[in-house]
Amino acid sequence: MSASADVRAVLSEKSLVQRLSSGTRGTVRALLRNKAGFLGFLGVMFFIILTTLGPLVIPYEGDPRLDRLRPGARSLFAPPSVEHPLGLDVKGRDVLSHIVHGGGPLILTALEAGILTTIVAVALGAAAGLLGGFIDQIISAASNFILTIPQFPLLLVLATIVTFDNRLGMALLLAVLNWPTLMRAVRAQVMSLKSRDYVEAAFALDLGLWHITTREVLPNMISYIVVNMIFTIRSAMYFIIALMFLGLVPLTEPDWGMMIFIGKQQGSLSNPEAAWMLLAPVLAIALFQLSLVLFTRSLEEVFNPRLRQGV
Amino acid sequence: MRKLIRSYTFRTVVQGLITIWAVMTFTFFLIRLMPGNPAQIKIDEYVDRYGMSEDQARQQVATLFNYDPDQPVFEQYVDYLSDLVRFDLGRSLTSTETPVAEQILRFLPWTLFSVGLALLVAFSLGVLVGLAMAYWRGGLLDNVMTVFASVIYAIPDYIIALLLIMVAGVQLKLIPVGELYGGSTQGIEPGFTVEYILDLLKHAFLPVFTYVLATIGGWMLTMKSSTISTLGEDYITVARARGLPERRLLTAYVGRNAMLPLMTRLAISIGFVVGGSAIIETLFLYPGLGRNLVLAIGLRDYTTMQGIFLVIAISVVVSNILADLLYGWLDPRVRLGGDKGTE
Amino acid sequence: MADGSVVLSVEDISITYTTQRGIVQAVSNVSFDLHAGETLALIGESGCGKSTIVLGLIGLLPKTGKITTGKVTYRRRDGRLIDVLGLNKEQMRQFLWNECSMVFQGALNSLNPVLKISSMIYDTARAHGMRADEAKKRALSLFEKVRLDPLRVFNSYPHELSGGMRQRVLLATALLLRPQVVIMDEPTTAVDILTQRSIIKVLKQLREELNFSVIFISHDLAVAAEIADTVATMYAGEIIEKGPVSEVFYRPRHAYTLGLLEAAPRLSTGAEELMSIPGSPPDLIDPPKGCKFHMRCRFVTDECKTTKPPLQASSPT
Repeated sequence: MSASADVRAVLSEKSLVQRLSSGTRGTVRALLRNKAGFLGFLGVMFFIILTTLGPLVIPYEGDPRLDRLRPGARSLFAPPSVEHPLGLDVKGRDVLSHIVHGGGPLILTALEAGILTTIVAVALGAAAGLLGGFIDQIISAASNFILTIPQFPLLLVLATIVTFDNRLGMALLLAVLNWPTLMRAVRAQVMSLKSRDYVEAAFALDLGLWHITTREVLPNMISYIVVNMIFTIRSAMYFIIALMFLGLVPLTEPDWGMMIFIGKQQGSLSNPEAAWMLLAPVLAIALFQLSLVLFTRSLEEVFNPRLRQGV
Repeated sequence: MRKLIRSYTFRTVVQGLITIWAVMTFTFFLIRLMPGNPAQIKIDEYVDRYGMSEDQARQQVATLFNYDPDQPVFEQYVDYLSDLVRFDLGRSLTSTETPVAEQILRFLPWTLFSVGLALLVAFSLGVLVGLAMAYWRGGLLDNVMTVFASVIYAIPDYIIALLLIMVAGVQLKLIPVGELYGGSTQGIEPGFTVEYILDLLKHAFLPVFTYVLATIGGWMLTMKSSTISTLGEDYITVARARGLPERRLLTAYVGRNAMLPLMTRLAISIGFVVGGSAIIETLFLYPGLGRNLVLAIGLRDYTTMQGIFLVIAISVVVSNILADLLYGWLDPRVRLGGDKGTE
Repeated sequence: MADGSVVLSVEDISITYTTQRGIVQAVSNVSFDLHAGETLALIGESGCGKSTIVLGLIGLLPKTGKITTGKVTYRRRDGRLIDVLGLNKEQMRQFLWNECSMVFQGALNSLNPVLKISSMIYDTARAHGMRADEAKKRALSLFEKVRLDPLRVFNSYPHELSGGMRQRVLLATALLLRPQVVIMDEPTTAVDILTQRSIIKVLKQLREELNFSVIFISHDLAVAAEIADTVATMYAGEIIEKGPVSEVFYRPRHAYTLGLLEAAPRLSTGAEELMSIPGSPPDLIDPPKGCKFHMRCRFVTDECKTTKPPLQASSPT
């Protein structure tokens, strides 16, 4: 009857579809509104294009190029020039080619870690929040335990145990360390949403737990989840590079982290000529991380209709 | 007795001890899951470096180590635990005959000094600037500092360290980076002399400056948003209507309330001091506990790793308790939750 | 009222807010006089500008608010006249609480949670050059007058007091420096009905003993009728009717006042008689011409839409 129609109206009003149905134009406008956020968006786009399309244009130089030793020079290092916009590394290889080819694997692993973490955290958070009781206690205790141990020392140990033949192993490891924060948020949201009117309405309509979680609870916190995922991607990247930096994971080229490691090993930290080999990946990492953080601001506006209307 | 068991303090201490034991146990087994063991690494070293035969090396190592890789792990655990309750952390497996406790006491002060100093500087500066940003919201300071804080907050600490070395040190030659590595200059007698203390500060400069830069943005932004929400509270308007001078308003009314949520975070970040310093200490060759941990992991020095993880677990637990106490002390509203027995 | 001297004179005050949608005319050309010992009730729906007026008087408008016209004159005890709007920041700081204090709505949130009541008293006293021991003595005697346990309250934190106790602490604090004018912004809305009664009682008694003037802001007609000597009804930023309490309440001349009276529950009439005013207040960014109430008025004439007709006596049934 009309009561049930009311309930349905409330439900559909809150649905994600409705939220995003203000159309792509609305999304674009929301993206543009926050200037810093838009800058972040451009930055992320830039790096994605650079690392996906770049390799098609710029060939990878993996082998030493001793022939590039300039007469009278003590090393193969070279500052930027017309042929090599980012200079040459310790083996005389083009730094730009390493930047272009070395970002993809890193970003991909971080992305995998972000997605995995989100899946694990959402699943566990929803389970803990909806089922409650014993399962909730176990999950909560595990998350408290993980949050007690500082992540980095633990990762140092774990990194030697899990072998990194494939990047998925690394991503999984990072997911194991990173899920508690988002899990807690999802759990808290599920608990509080459980008591709100429209979820009660959904219960009344007998829509079932699964439906409630996927249709009502998660869409309501999509903004938080996405922003959290971006931050997980960021911290995954931080950890991966840190491990490479300390030489604790197998050395594979090309990779931004490996460029730093090799650069550091070759003493380029104290050699002014060699700075370019290091500066390029350092700046790439710094800029990519900065872009990610800034991008979250735009994402918040895109996903949060209340912010979108502005005041 | 029943009162004691129910008391808040008692429960907190027991919970803390259980957490420490759990972390200790977890890391104990985790560490022994790592591929390779300290004896093997030493044996390989003897074979490679001194050209010993495998058997010779094995015998040599057996006399050096009181570690038997073939002993069942669970027996090792029981042994370790029984030593631990007598406050004996065992001996380092690699720099033989050095007790782990002694090793930790040697390295911990460096970490506590550098990270503690950085935390203090970053927190006080960040809180002051954040307060000012919120108070003069939309002003020049706010605009400039918001951009600065957002940028610096987004960049990983080791990237900041590398940029410091490369740009400020090597390229611009603003900082004599080469002289600043390590914990102190060799040849300067340790002691309470001006020369030694200045030398300590000089060598701590790079790691401290890096930590400060890496964390200050977060403090500023958090304090700013906390202050903005405090400024909107009724009691601020009411205090203003009572004609209180701005300075009193800013300190006891705005500042103190805005700082409450930050104090908990401060206490908790103290607990992460030891673990968070590994990369920066390694990069600057600073003789702290974090760098020691990285070295111990490389050598599979089980007892040293175990000892350091224990220190980490203790510091996290203690700082969490500290956060509780601090919050109760600063916010009278939760003070009642402390010892219900006395009220 | 009997003594007739005007303590606070408000002439032709207008206040605007700048918003993204445009300029809001929150208060337009409001004038009133407050006499020594008088209690003036400003009544109206929320958003009618009654709180904005008093925030303007004490210089605490938000940054987006601006006083565009008008003059506020305050007469000190020594007879000197003060141009309140012309005070600089420091003079205004001195003026507040010494001459004119305020009791805000929302007692729960009006006290700094991390300071004891004593600190709040000392802070206020110090800001105005009152000695600490004198402040304590005065505060304790005021706490006694508002029926609080003086020493216990003095040494308490706000969270240790109930809502009604906090409201009484605020009332006592408002009188700490013996001001001539006390502004009360909905002082009884956040508390339950029994507390409300006792606060009104305490207030009446204090007024008798200490002889201060009150501007009492409320949307609660019953409370206003009980405490006020004079009533001013506000609608859409204007005072539309003003007079002695008996006249305004028993012979309202403006249709809006009549509507408010009919919308208020009264023991004498009973609930079945309650009527609400249809519609909602006008948009103050683009206010209507003529009488701002004409869209909702049941006595509307063509004249109302272009000019403001003069008030005429009515006789409510």
